[in-house]
Amino acid sequence: MEFKDYYQILGVAKTATADDIKKAYRKLARKYHPDVSKEADAEKHMRDINEARDVLSDPEKRAAYDQVGQGYRPGQEFHPPPNWDRDNWDAGYEYSGRGFSGADTADFSDFFANLFGQGRRTSGFRERGSDRHAKIQIDLADTYQGATKTITLQTHHVDERGRTSLNEHSLKVHIPKGVKEGQHIRLSGKGNPGVGGGGTGDLYLEIHFKPDPRYRVDGTDVYASLPVTPWEAALGGVIEAPTPSGTVKLTIPPNSQAGRKLRLKGRGIPADEPGDLYMELAVVLPSADTRKAQQLYETMAKELNFNPRK
Amino acid sequence: MSNSDTLHGTLIDEMTLTCEELAHACCVEPQWVIEHIETGVLGRSARYIESYRFTSYDLKRARRMYQLERDFDAVPELAAIVVDLMEEVEQLRKKQD
Repeated sequence: MEFKDYYQILGVAKTATADDIKKAYRKLARKYHPDVSKEADAEKHMRDINEARDVLSDPEKRAAYDQVGQGYRPGQEFHPPPNWDRDNWDAGYEYSGRGFSGADTADFSDFFANLFGQGRRTSGFRERGSDRHAKIQIDLADTYQGATKTITLQTHHVDERGRTSLNEHSLKVHIPKGVKEGQHIRLSGKGNPGVGGGGTGDLYLEIHFKPDPRYRVDGTDVYASLPVTPWEAALGGVIEAPTPSGTVKLTIPPNSQAGRKLRLKGRGIPADEPGDLYMELAVVLPSADTRKAQQLYETMAKELNFNPRK
Repeated sequence: MSNSDTLHGTLIDEMTLTCEELAHACCVEPQWVIEHIETGVLGRSARYIESYRFTSYDLKRARRMYQLERDFDAVPELAAIVVDLMEEVEQLRKKQD
């Protein structure tokens, strides 16, 4: 387990005041906030600065951290002192209340969990485990048919001596048909373990569709661009069109222009009232890269008397 | 893992969250949820707090608001404005794609 220098993470001196820590945290939280940041590894940075803030803004935790961290450099192999056990907390380092500022403790590092994790405060304390949150990306097609996805999560495991280690484990999750962007699936009892016999929290999975340049989703409606030839648009006809639920035969009305939207009722995202699929025609011109093609365009120019700017 | 290991969760919106469930999912006390309903920045589906039920949208909104309040000491109204703008940006980006 590597030692983490929380002062370095926040960019403050060891003598920093509570106000210095708050200012440094806010500056970095703005930079790495997952909803707005475009920085690489923003989530990892956010996790580190949350962890650093959680410890350094709490006088009890900060004092405990300063004590065990003496002489350690960032990244150095860290071993908690032998007396760093429940007795230590009983001697004055135990903190009260929910303790974790509402953060998801499973998002904290092994280092943090070992020093301040839930295994450190079991005596006479009973609380249900906190809920966990994760995002899962699925293909648009998955919501048409339903799917099974495997996700990997990191979980803190507390052994009988109260030591915490970070374990990875996989869950196979059924994605129900008709799930929408932003919707949550709740997996009961798959959150963080409770304390002192308290129940396990739940896991909330937030659904996101993988970006697909072919489709745009708005609620339960799906929009797609449908490339057609000039003669299919002009003369009409039946063509085969790819959709998220498979290929369908689609009638193109004669005299269709580029941008015309054809609605396929009920072929959007499945629901009690399923959404619609809108196919927007995109007329694609063949290249005039052969003599034959040039002659065809020249004939049209001569025969059709057509000026789109009038 | 075999097929029998596949977890079947509950789809939020088909089954909505109670005030207590929303509070637990956001790591806040139920009182925080009630205060935010009373100030009009959260929840929009029921007249009486006891009968409030919360959707996936409410869950995401509440978590974002709580994080902004916690990280920046934002008052609820300011956090709500920021979240409103975030939601609008997301919608515009989706339309742009």
